Amino acid sequence: MTVLAPAARPQAAAPRTKYVIVENSPVHHAIRAACIAVAALGVLWASQLAPFRVGQFTTVFIMAIAIIGLNLVTGYTGLLSIGHSAFFGLGAYTTGVLIVKLEFAPLATIPIAMALTFVLGLLVGLPSLRIHGLYLALVTLAVAVAFPEIVRKLESLTGGAAGMVVRSRYLAPPEWTGLVRAQRGIWMFWLSAFVLVLVMILSRSLIRSRFGLMMRTVRDHEIAAAANGVGIARTKILVFGISGAITGLAGALFTMYIGALSPDGSFTLLKAIELVTGLVLGGVATQLGPLIGALAVVFLPYYTASFTTGPLSGVLFGAVLIALCFLMPEGIAGRLGLLIRRVVTVVPKDHPAPPR
Amino acid sequence: MELFVERLLAGLTNGSVYALLALALVVVYRATGTLNFAQGELALFTTFVAWWLTTLDAPVWVAIVAALIVGFVLGAAIERLLIRPVQRKNDMAVLIVALGLFTGLNSLAGLLWGSETKIMPSPFPNGLDDYVSVFGARLYGDALGVWAALIVLLGLMTLLFRRTRIGLHMRAVAANPESAALAGVRTGRILMVGWGLSGAIGALAGVLVTPLAPEQLGLTTMFHIFIAASAAALFGGLDSLPGAVVGGLTIGVLEALLSGYVSFIGGELQQTSALLIIVAILFIRPNGLFGSKRTVRV
Repeated sequence: MTVLAPAARPQAAAPRTKYVIVENSPVHHAIRAACIAVAALGVLWASQLAPFRVGQFTTVFIMAIAIIGLNLVTGYTGLLSIGHSAFFGLGAYTTGVLIVKLEFAPLATIPIAMALTFVLGLLVGLPSLRIHGLYLALVTLAVAVAFPEIVRKLESLTGGAAGMVVRSRYLAPPEWTGLVRAQRGIWMFWLSAFVLVLVMILSRSLIRSRFGLMMRTVRDHEIAAAANGVGIARTKILVFGISGAITGLAGALFTMYIGALSPDGSFTLLKAIELVTGLVLGGVATQLGPLIGALAVVFLPYYTASFTTGPLSGVLFGAVLIALCFLMPEGIAGRLGLLIRRVVTVVPKDHPAPPR
Repeated sequence: MELFVERLLAGLTNGSVYALLALALVVVYRATGTLNFAQGELALFTTFVAWWLTTLDAPVWVAIVAALIVGFVLGAAIERLLIRPVQRKNDMAVLIVALGLFTGLNSLAGLLWGSETKIMPSPFPNGLDDYVSVFGARLYGDALGVWAALIVLLGLMTLLFRRTRIGLHMRAVAANPESAALAGVRTGRILMVGWGLSGAIGALAGVLVTPLAPEQLGLTTMFHIFIAASAAALFGGLDSLPGAVVGGLTIGVLEALLSGYVSFIGGELQQTSALLIIVAILFIRPNGLFGSKRTVRV
């Protein structure tokens, strides 16, 4: 099964590009360094904004991490999932419960949250061995729906429908940062930004690794992949595990940021749809897509809500999703990539430069 | 005994509703080979249309017929305008469009008619005294109506697929669109009719269920029904009409008995139990219990 990602493949139109850059040449390094510098300046600029804006950007970073998790499974491996709200929720609740019931330090809960969501990912990945395409989406949909029900049922642990509050004294920045409790906003901003960068690097290396190649062959042609010795079952299940752990990590950060959890607040099917929307909007199977998509799903509703409220924004949300499929199926990052590739091509060093 | 029969009957009634919506899913699957994730919200929207007509003093039967027509037109329009252009691309595009419809239709209903709960009048006698006594349990008129509707619809659908030209064309298109087109089937029109039919069936399910549903007609009414209906359709392998009905009834009865007798599940884990049923069935038989085997060619 293929996925909406024509942009992920290099275009055959390479000879028509104006500039050719050799990979790992000084020019290539300089451009890359400049991009990183611009990004770093952008984050610095964002950290100086009013606390409300800083909070919005923190949400963007957290959403971006969650969408990167989804991108691994849906974008690069082609396994449709609309159940990722459950991973987000399990990560969030694990952190919440560990802090409230066992008085864990917030950062110490992250490995446990990731381990649990990794295991949940393996379990959700199991059906993907036998179920394909839209049927898998249906199974993951059911996971998304089941999660809030289970949270409500396990009342003694999760606070049930009433939700759970993590007191802010538990969430204060650790002492070594030199920040005081009132600076929790800025602490979470930098923590999320740091984790996002880490996750982006990790996901990039994973995709470029041998395993990443296996992921993409499973997506593009499962039978051919199997014939070439790719362990389909192992790849699919492991990807679901990794994807779950990354989205669970986002959930853990979410608890540390928001401090209050309720089953119907952030972990319903709507959240899962929001993650999918972000992924598609940003660009499926692209490196920057999740970040751009997260920016869009955090800021767009905020601006549309300023002139519309309630159901109308839901209608707009649905309309945007459908319109995207028609107008820009490769997403913003994918479209940008196409435009850039029209001007610049990057070729490997040992590869002859394309003729002018 | 009386309590058991009562739960059994309630389960069969709920199950009939699941089966109705499952039939809508199966019709789309048999005609186009895809799943309609927006089926439940489509049914919700048309039910709102029917409710709105009854508030304008239209007789309930007229409202239902109108809902069926709106369901057919909406279904056909969605196929023609939204699904067909992207279907060639892939599953993901279909999924995204369906998710867009899912949120869009639900919010549109809320936008047009408000989010407070509505009371949809039942087309069947549903007064407190309109019941038949079965082993001491009470079977009300509107439950019987749902059963009757399911039986009639199953009959009609079977006839459609087995005995009519258009049904034959639908099966041909689902099996292999290219060959069907080469053999002179107007595939586009068939796909539209398939989606239209499923829209109409969904509308029927919607108008019949809301008088029975504990939450009446609200924005979330169809959600659980959709999940259960998908489980039911998968149970039958998505391409079997009797399978969908058996699946719907089984899930309805299981749900009623489990929530009645297994106190841990109660009324709160309904969706979760439907999920477990879906996964278990797909694991044991990926093509469902009644589904035909599909062979993949390399």
